[in-house]
Amino acid sequence: MRTSAVAGLVFANVNDNLLKKLTSRRSMASVPFGARYRLIDFSLSNLVNAGITNVGIVTKENYRSLMDHVGSGIYWDLDRKNGGLYILPPYSTSGAKRNSGTIDALVGAIEYIKHCKSEYIVLYNADVLANIDVSALIKEHIANSADITLVYHNGKLEANNGDVMKLSFKKGGRVSEIALDAESGDVADFSIGVSVIGRQLLLDIVNDAYENELNSFNRDVIAKKVKQLKIYGFRHNGYLAFMNCTNSYFKANMDLLSSEVRAELFDKNRPVYTKTRDDMPTRYGTKADVKNSLIADGCVINGTVKNSILFRGVKVEKGAVVENCILMQETKVGEKAQLNNVIADKNAVVGEEMVLKGTAQKHFFIKKNQTL
Amino acid sequence: MKSKKCVAMLLAGGQGSRLGVLTSKIAKPAVPYGGKYRIIDFPLSNCANSGIDTVGILTQYKPLELNDYVGSGKPWDLDRNNGGVHILPPYQGQQGGDWYKGTANAIYQNLEFIERYNPEYVLILSGDHIYKMDYSKMINQHEKTGADCTIAVLEVSLEEATRFGIMNADEDGNIYEFEEKPPVPKSNLASMGIYVFNWDKLRKYLIEDEAKPDSSNDFGKNIIPAMLNAGEKLKVYRFNDYWKDVGTVDSLWDANLDLLNPKIDLNLSDKNWRIYSRNTAMPPQYVSDTAVVENSLVTDGCEIYGNLDYSILFNNVTVEPGATVEYSLVMPGAVIRKGASVRYSIIAENVEVGENADIGGDPAVVGNENWGITVVGANITVGENAQISANKMITENVEKGAKI
Repeated sequence: MRTSAVAGLVFANVNDNLLKKLTSRRSMASVPFGARYRLIDFSLSNLVNAGITNVGIVTKENYRSLMDHVGSGIYWDLDRKNGGLYILPPYSTSGAKRNSGTIDALVGAIEYIKHCKSEYIVLYNADVLANIDVSALIKEHIANSADITLVYHNGKLEANNGDVMKLSFKKGGRVSEIALDAESGDVADFSIGVSVIGRQLLLDIVNDAYENELNSFNRDVIAKKVKQLKIYGFRHNGYLAFMNCTNSYFKANMDLLSSEVRAELFDKNRPVYTKTRDDMPTRYGTKADVKNSLIADGCVINGTVKNSILFRGVKVEKGAVVENCILMQETKVGEKAQLNNVIADKNAVVGEEMVLKGTAQKHFFIKKNQTL
Repeated sequence: MKSKKCVAMLLAGGQGSRLGVLTSKIAKPAVPYGGKYRIIDFPLSNCANSGIDTVGILTQYKPLELNDYVGSGKPWDLDRNNGGVHILPPYQGQQGGDWYKGTANAIYQNLEFIERYNPEYVLILSGDHIYKMDYSKMINQHEKTGADCTIAVLEVSLEEATRFGIMNADEDGNIYEFEEKPPVPKSNLASMGIYVFNWDKLRKYLIEDEAKPDSSNDFGKNIIPAMLNAGEKLKVYRFNDYWKDVGTVDSLWDANLDLLNPKIDLNLSDKNWRIYSRNTAMPPQYVSDTAVVENSLVTDGCEIYGNLDYSILFNNVTVEPGATVEYSLVMPGAVIRKGASVRYSIIAENVEVGENADIGGDPAVVGNENWGITVVGANITVGENAQISANKMITENVEKGAKI
């Protein structure tokens, strides 16, 4: 299949409101995750690893950090003459609209959809943390002659982001029923916010839904058209997480301390790309004591670090103890400081001998650029 | 073509035969360094940081890996519409063609390349050294003194001076004599192999040198002495910061371990002078509950379950539980299996060290006379329980339980 036959559309601001502390000045897509990534790295990499070279990012607000991160798209090989990366901010007319659902977002991207010429479009919510075989998804979609194929996950729903739907299937795999009452803890087949659809059909649906003042593409349109549309499911078996609150964000980060999760999320055949920073390798000093931690380049560790995630350029001074923490880019932890269950946003500074303790349920949160 | 003030020519064709198995398949400038770099990152990053945006890279020996690595020059911001990085291999012309016979001949064969940019100055660099240097300062001095050629020099001890090309210069830095590896050095100013030439002078001397059938077409042996004989103005440029030649296994090992020495000023993540490299798409490093990591550099993709001390791990290295790596370099993709021990060694790319294998030796145990760094070449498998002593160069797979 020609790779130009498929384009991708990533929704950057999806569920921003669920991670308020982290999204006060950034989109969900640019939330830092897993020591050296931002959430959008996963969707962009999955699309690119399927040979897709034409990707639009639909944004609504707070997109400075996102634009800074993706740049020309070069880190994902999306700096192209044909296709490439398109950032799609809202038009003022669509921005002034009634609400902020996916239909509005799609209306904002309608020119991109009209002009991208591909036959299929993969719709991808930026808050889906998974390594999905998008290439296999497209193959199944075509083999089934489906109108829409929804990626689903079978198992326990750890955190509901409000956009997941419970699916029931007929024999042969066609979706027979879609239920909207999924709750955290349910065990079922859940759509996860990634789907593939024909471009013309998408245009028709968006125009129709906009006129009828509908809000959510999944909940208001797809869920109600199980009879009219040939909807299929594509099962994703690997690791999956949504982040619907700071706790689930914390847990998803800590999941990376499991080698099984890392093997699934960072599948060697489908690598995850991100913006590079040319840091030096991480330096462990004489007094370093590091256990069960995931650490990016550019850190300098002279203290104790346990069960933690350290982003690029974090410094942990002598005698400091960091346990069960997520320390984002350039966090500085002074000598003999003690941190437990802390989430530090970028460039935070913790002074010498400070003691900061959160709990597993309520983490101590340090804002970006904050000095304590 | 818009003309340029300065074009850099980077001599990257050498084999680096003294690095043995480490350069059996790659040119010396492509040899990995410092966890995530290759030697060529230093001159390229220095160029980028010094504002030099046109660089010709002269390649000859085993260029595949090097060409691949340099690519469009993007990691060093050297992918330019006007200028940028250019790989210059030897080529055939109407009158036939030749390999690069010497450093000067390599530049001579690419006079056309330099002519396209019609620069005022040509900066000659080599791909063998680890250092951070602002070439623009050297060019400024060259410009200010009105020299025809300026040669960067480093003060070394008189004992070391016997191993270098030595510049004998007066108080004002005017060079009056050049001596290659003098047994009794008159000065301690060692040439760093970095030259700034006025382009018209360089062109003239390269053409004249080429016409001499018995010349070895080398900068140090022929061009510099010819310019001195003709009374041209040659100046030294003194450089006082870290600089290390990594031409031998020992010096490569030393230069890497210097990164772990807090007394040595070689900060590669200085935001004002970054050393750029081509990055890999690897997940962050993971240090497990069973690991002990001290005095080491570790980078993306590494998984550490064993013990590390005074070592540098390149990307994607795995150290299994109970394995020990000390005073060693472990290059990309290598795996150190359970219980294995690696000391005072360089383990090249994608090597597998089998369970309980024992590689290299401590100088305190072996005794200085027999001691040396052990090198295991790329893609080699060392079998379980194999023992390889100090000062060995391993070029083929090692059987289970073998003793070398």
